[in-house]
Amino acid sequence: MRPSDSHEVSQLNELKIDINAFTFTAHYKIAGNIIMGEQMPILGGWAGGIEETSIVDVATSLAAFILLDVDWHLDGPIHVRWGNTTAREPLMVAGHACRALDRNTHLLLGNQYYTSAGPCTEMCLLEAAAQAITDTGSGREIMSGCASAKGVALDYTTAMEARLMAHAAKAVAGVETEKVNVMLDKLISMYETNFKKPPKGKSFQECYNVSTLTPSDEYLQVFDKAIKTMQKIGFDFKI
Amino acid sequence: MPLKEKVGVFESYDRARSGPRVDEKEWDRKITFQTANKLKEKYKLKFDRSVIIPTDTDMIDRLYQAGLEMLVEMGIYCMDTGRVIKYTEDEVMMAAANAPCQVTLGEGRDARQLAGRNFDDPHPPLCQGGPTGAPVSENIFIAMHEAYAQEPLVDTIVNGVLSTINGREPKPGSPWEIAAVKAEVSMIRMAMARAGRPGMAM
Repeated sequence: MRPSDSHEVSQLNELKIDINAFTFTAHYKIAGNIIMGEQMPILGGWAGGIEETSIVDVATSLAAFILLDVDWHLDGPIHVRWGNTTAREPLMVAGHACRALDRNTHLLLGNQYYTSAGPCTEMCLLEAAAQAITDTGSGREIMSGCASAKGVALDYTTAMEARLMAHAAKAVAGVETEKVNVMLDKLISMYETNFKKPPKGKSFQECYNVSTLTPSDEYLQVFDKAIKTMQKIGFDFKI
Repeated sequence: MPLKEKVGVFESYDRARSGPRVDEKEWDRKITFQTANKLKEKYKLKFDRSVIIPTDTDMIDRLYQAGLEMLVEMGIYCMDTGRVIKYTEDEVMMAAANAPCQVTLGEGRDARQLAGRNFDDPHPPLCQGGPTGAPVSENIFIAMHEAYAQEPLVDTIVNGVLSTINGREPKPGSPWEIAAVKAEVSMIRMAMARAGRPGMAM
């Protein structure tokens, strides 16, 4: 890796660390590398509910900058039952914690994406969009995703989800928070009842022509449908 | 009195070897929950489920204070030594104040500035696209990452994880894990180059 790549070091849940993290961070530091601290507070884990996990999220984000001397912190509040970052509760944790840090510090903050649904499904795209909108409207500097289908199925991630994240962020950057919240509430309501049986979707090989690296007509249609769904609830997409 | 020096990874390691001892189960099951719950009550934090991004600045500041107090009161638990790394509030504030406002990710024309933005900034965040640690087959690893690198709105790459390396399982802690990690980096660099963006950061 190059010094200008982000060199990752993970903190542990909750407010914990191991010696290995110090050892390789020392190497990153002495080599002059950019260091990215990563931690995913668990909603419904050791800390408890939304408010308690938000407090932990602020604490653990601050900790990265003193414990490991990182350049930026990659968050990722995750739901203990659903295993995603896109349910209402982890989005609330991310949105609240980021606003608290954004208003009181100049720290560089990111968030990582784990959707329940898989590629080539409207639900997957709406989940990714909801998080991109939350991150943009709460002041984060970088979005990192997307581990579709909870990031556990082999080859079930594609660049179309990242394309949607970027467009969603562009659509809401600078929009008043009150307006964003109303639209977000509607958007999350459209998929949050499907977490018990989310659609698995299709693999990268099924979504793309692997030789020409072009997305399938089917996925392009699903993408258009997701955009139209969000336009109907007020998001100003210009694609 | 001004602080002698900024606390970072080396001082934190020293404190991990000398801080107060705590039982790990007590840390997880008692101290974390009780402290979070106490601070939730102290700072009167109760969120509205229809509000994903808060606008009440007094409540936003109370949440920040609660998080800062949690870090200073609890510290960080080191699993290997069974000890707690403690920091003062001044040390935490100094670390936050000294953190970078901006860093450059990547090189040349593909470099991107990761720079501070506020909640109402008209410019969107950077987009780091990729499988985000999800497993990827060896035979499509380059193609999948190239698909991200060719997206004009993707600024940097977040990698997937090789499910095999030369057909072998990259078992954690094994030589095959090291081989897989090294291969991931070179294959992603190849994917970026094929997309005409060799200076992208990962």
